[in-house]
Amino acid sequence: MICAGMICAGIDVGSRTIKVVLFDANGHGVVAAAAADQGIEQEALAMQLLERVLKENHIGREDVRAVVATGYGRKLISIADDTITEITCQAWGVSSAVPNARTIIDIGGQDSKLVRLNGRGAVSDFAMNDRCAAGTGRFLEVVATRLGVRLADLGKLVGKSRTPAFISNMCVVFAETEIIGLLASGVASEDIVAGVQSSIATRVAAMVGQNVTPPVVFTGGVALVPGMKDSLQEALRETVMVAPHPQTTGALGAAILAARRLDAGDTPTP
Amino acid sequence: MNDIAKRITLAGWDERYAELRAAGLDEPDYGGPLRRHVEDGDLRLLKLQMDNSAASLRLWNFLLTEEQRLHQARAEGKKIVGAMKDLGTVPVMAYSLGNVVAFYPDGAWWIPCVMQCSDHLLEVADLLGIDDSFCPVRAMLGAFVTGAHFPIPGLLTCSVGAICDDLSAIAQRLESLGFPIMWWEVPHRRHPEPSEASVTLPGNFPAPASQVALVRSELQRVRQALETFASQQLTEQRLSAGIARANQVRRRLGELRQLAYRAEPCPLPALEMLIAEMLALHFCSDQNETVEVLDELLEETKKRILAGTGVLAADAVRVFWVNPVADLRVMNMLEDAGGRVCGTEYLFCHALDPIPEDTPPMEALARMVLADPMVGSAADRARRICHDIDEFQSEALVISRIPGASHCAMEGAIIGDIVRSKTGIPVLEIEVPPITDSMEPTLRTRLEALIETVRNRRQQ
Repeated sequence: MICAGMICAGIDVGSRTIKVVLFDANGHGVVAAAAADQGIEQEALAMQLLERVLKENHIGREDVRAVVATGYGRKLISIADDTITEITCQAWGVSSAVPNARTIIDIGGQDSKLVRLNGRGAVSDFAMNDRCAAGTGRFLEVVATRLGVRLADLGKLVGKSRTPAFISNMCVVFAETEIIGLLASGVASEDIVAGVQSSIATRVAAMVGQNVTPPVVFTGGVALVPGMKDSLQEALRETVMVAPHPQTTGALGAAILAARRLDAGDTPTP
Repeated sequence: MNDIAKRITLAGWDERYAELRAAGLDEPDYGGPLRRHVEDGDLRLLKLQMDNSAASLRLWNFLLTEEQRLHQARAEGKKIVGAMKDLGTVPVMAYSLGNVVAFYPDGAWWIPCVMQCSDHLLEVADLLGIDDSFCPVRAMLGAFVTGAHFPIPGLLTCSVGAICDDLSAIAQRLESLGFPIMWWEVPHRRHPEPSEASVTLPGNFPAPASQVALVRSELQRVRQALETFASQQLTEQRLSAGIARANQVRRRLGELRQLAYRAEPCPLPALEMLIAEMLALHFCSDQNETVEVLDELLEETKKRILAGTGVLAADAVRVFWVNPVADLRVMNMLEDAGGRVCGTEYLFCHALDPIPEDTPPMEALARMVLADPMVGSAADRARRICHDIDEFQSEALVISRIPGASHCAMEGAIIGDIVRSKTGIPVLEIEVPPITDSMEPTLRTRLEALIETVRNRRQQ
């Protein structure tokens, strides 16, 4: 049973989706998690999602004792007691689920990140790609649009691929042109999708470099796409594990850090 | 008057300047409110947070009036030398002569940054075929072609060889436009063979004596060119005196770095320290005034340290910074995120080392040239950086890349790997274009994540 008054919330305001996790600071773990599409009114959308999750779980707004916001739009959340970067939040979220994790690869809608952990769950180093869409979920969105399939159905296509196409362009804009050419020359859609997944994985592997310390945990919305884990494993030449609930690990980390604020005696949210 | 040390915006400086004036501020002839520089086009000041001391006001005014100073020197009949690429050598020789002023035209790369590209210098470079695949130093071409900034030097020198490929290409393009250049060569510094006579350079780098001799002979050609240009003889005595004057600046900067990068809380912001360090290169076109400016900064710094005051929180994360930034605002961002700069390597750390005065002057200058971080390997740079990280007890490293600058593209990753393995501190590589406004959220996230990482390490 949830002890009313000890709920902490983590809000991850990502570039493509907003995620909310409610965490019971009394040791009962995750109470609820949810995600919704991002939009223009970012704070309003985040608050709508939070209110919806609270209502669905019969928790009053007054029972939320601390809120930490993370992600690209973290500074927009005025109810947050603190804002913490997604790098730190991913580390806390993943370590709570996979305590021995040493490497996190997070691929979101608009960026990708590498986080190296020190074995005790803390960040030892990190790198980010947020200037090029080629290593992000945006590439998958572009190909889905071009192929006329829903993003959620891309994974089904990949399973049918026999000869993944080779996408040579390093830029998504030019790669789209390349895809049009491949389609015109009769390359199957499933091979193009598999090629794009391989291209994303190769780009991310370049960011990771030579030294990958296992266990490697894969997070972010792209981790939910069937086939991406396999592509990443191949590119990294290392076993990759998809985090439990990979889309909400950042929000989970934020919620855990909110709970730590309570422990530390910081002022709770009124 | 409120004398609490803090960073303030330009609007804050409007009030602060009035306060200082009312309290009897005594300014040099280039003094005045910072606001006037914005009216002259230095728009970036509107986005910066600056130190609120009178010493920093003088530093900013000194920096932002250099073009006027050069034009005034020309009007007074002084000879003007444009020394390109070598950092901290030819100006020392030039200022050893009377009636000669030397500066780095390549420093024009900061003009578009400070003027938020309103100067259109980069567009001129584009039209000349030197596009944004080159280092922002290409702004220099626009400054020469338009003549809108510094006076065209009567003598142009440029070092080539083991220096920046971009600069070489840009300077060659400049020469093709009708600006003759006196080229001199600097070889890539290598480790001496066991059988070779070797010399230990400032920074403790070993180099073959034959390489030092080569550079000495090249500098001798530069010396002759300067003598012809200035119609004066650059005697050994004059050169030694010039080196001693350059060392006055370097020693002051050494002391300032020791104080500012060690004291807690941080007594002087990163931005003012960056500008102060740049004074080592060509003394902002006035060697004597540079000494005065640094003396006032040192006095202010010591006063703050004695009072136990600073401009940042006492627990600010100690960050070592590599390479100069194109957008000065990024130095503010680090401090906004909870960091402070404790140690720097802005690609001219050799110009902060005193020039040996117990060695014949041309030999001493040749050794300084070969000690240039750009002349040696990235591993050598990393070695010195690791040493300084240890000295200043830095807790993290930021390597700032400049878009299009070929020198930095490869070196950052090498330096980062070496520093990680030797010191174990977190390393962040960022790319800083002349204007960072469009990427500010992502830059801030990176810097904040670095600060969070160090704070977590402290707790563990």
